[in-house]
Amino acid sequence: MTSQVSGISKNDERALGYFSYSVFALSLVAGIALGLSLTRMQGPLRRGNAEPWQLNADDRSHYAIAIALEYAHSGDLATALNKLIALRPAQDPIDALADAACSLAGSGYLRSGGGITAVRSAVALYSAQGRSGCAERLLPLDATDTASAVADEGESDAEIARPQPTKPPLLAGDEEQSVQRVAATPVPLRRFEARAARSFCDTANPALIELHVVDYLGRGIPGQRIRVRFGDQEDVFLSGLKVDRGDSYADFQMEEGIDYAIDMPGAAEALGASLSTGACYSGSRRTLKSWRVTFVET
Amino acid sequence: MLRFARSLVLGLLLGAIFGLYLGWIQFPSQTRNRNMRDMSQRYRDDYTVMIAAGYALARDLEGAIERLQRLETGDVGDHVQDRTERVIRTSARSLDDIRLLVRLANDMGRLTPAMEPFWDLSGGDP
Repeated sequence: MTSQVSGISKNDERALGYFSYSVFALSLVAGIALGLSLTRMQGPLRRGNAEPWQLNADDRSHYAIAIALEYAHSGDLATALNKLIALRPAQDPIDALADAACSLAGSGYLRSGGGITAVRSAVALYSAQGRSGCAERLLPLDATDTASAVADEGESDAEIARPQPTKPPLLAGDEEQSVQRVAATPVPLRRFEARAARSFCDTANPALIELHVVDYLGRGIPGQRIRVRFGDQEDVFLSGLKVDRGDSYADFQMEEGIDYAIDMPGAAEALGASLSTGACYSGSRRTLKSWRVTFVET
Repeated sequence: MLRFARSLVLGLLLGAIFGLYLGWIQFPSQTRNRNMRDMSQRYRDDYTVMIAAGYALARDLEGAIERLQRLETGDVGDHVQDRTERVIRTSARSLDDIRLLVRLANDMGRLTPAMEPFWDLSGGDP
């Protein structure tokens, strides 16, 4: 009986064919969709065929700085512009270079003399095109020798505007690294006023002092020194170093049971009251209170 | 049932292969999330020359090495040596570019006989 059924089944299969074209067509479409989805999720194959415009933002910034370095050496403005345009920035290519220099300058790139030279090259290039950015504010006041070298070697028909320093050196060590050839004109120090110290409760960021340094229009100002004093210790740090949080941002981690006084050395008086953390509740979750302090340029 | 399964598996398999081909080869995504190591040879050479130009300006070997490390090519010295020799061999770049590369290679201790003519060209300071 069994063999008879199986025999019938095989006969049926033969009659219908070994293949269902409708199922095949549907699964083919599903397979194509699956394959395409995988390629989009996985990203392109690593085939060594990427062009500079396809680089991620960080690498594109470094590439743009390399273009500026080459320009500083060769003075070939046309080539530099063509390469910047080839990066296909969303905005004006020179503005994009200014942004790249700004983001690198705010991320520890200026720790080395080479980094300073590289950013100066970028500043020289975009300044020559009548643009400005935050990088020139972050550059140390000294090292005019390097800036001159950039200008001297890179000067072409176009006039290169030398970046004017606008603030004191970020690091004490930088001042000693280079020889001053030209006395830089000090710009009057900016003055700030601490405003709007507000506490908030965030389970993701407990016991954090969020600091913002902004100008009178509310625009972030990177590279400003902020001091936190606690007990007999103090910590000085700069605004704008966490690039993803914007030019104005800096933060400091608090501990329970300690009072913190905040000021901007030589630029702003200490906040009226010291800050401390304690328990707070976000929904039903217990965490530690954080503070948000804004220094506004006066 | 076997007929259904056979059609399904074959369809999915062929479809997925075709989908992968379309997505990776024919119409690769135009995303901006690639690294410098993914750049084509031409642009990696270009970047190396730009860094060599920056080095000629500032003589900051550490900075040049740090920047070249973004290419993730392993040993940066090997990379500069290979690129320089290849560029000399293929005459792929201008004489100025070659001299910049030779200067960087020399200061990295990678001056090879193939580079020496370019090093000697201007009295050891190309």
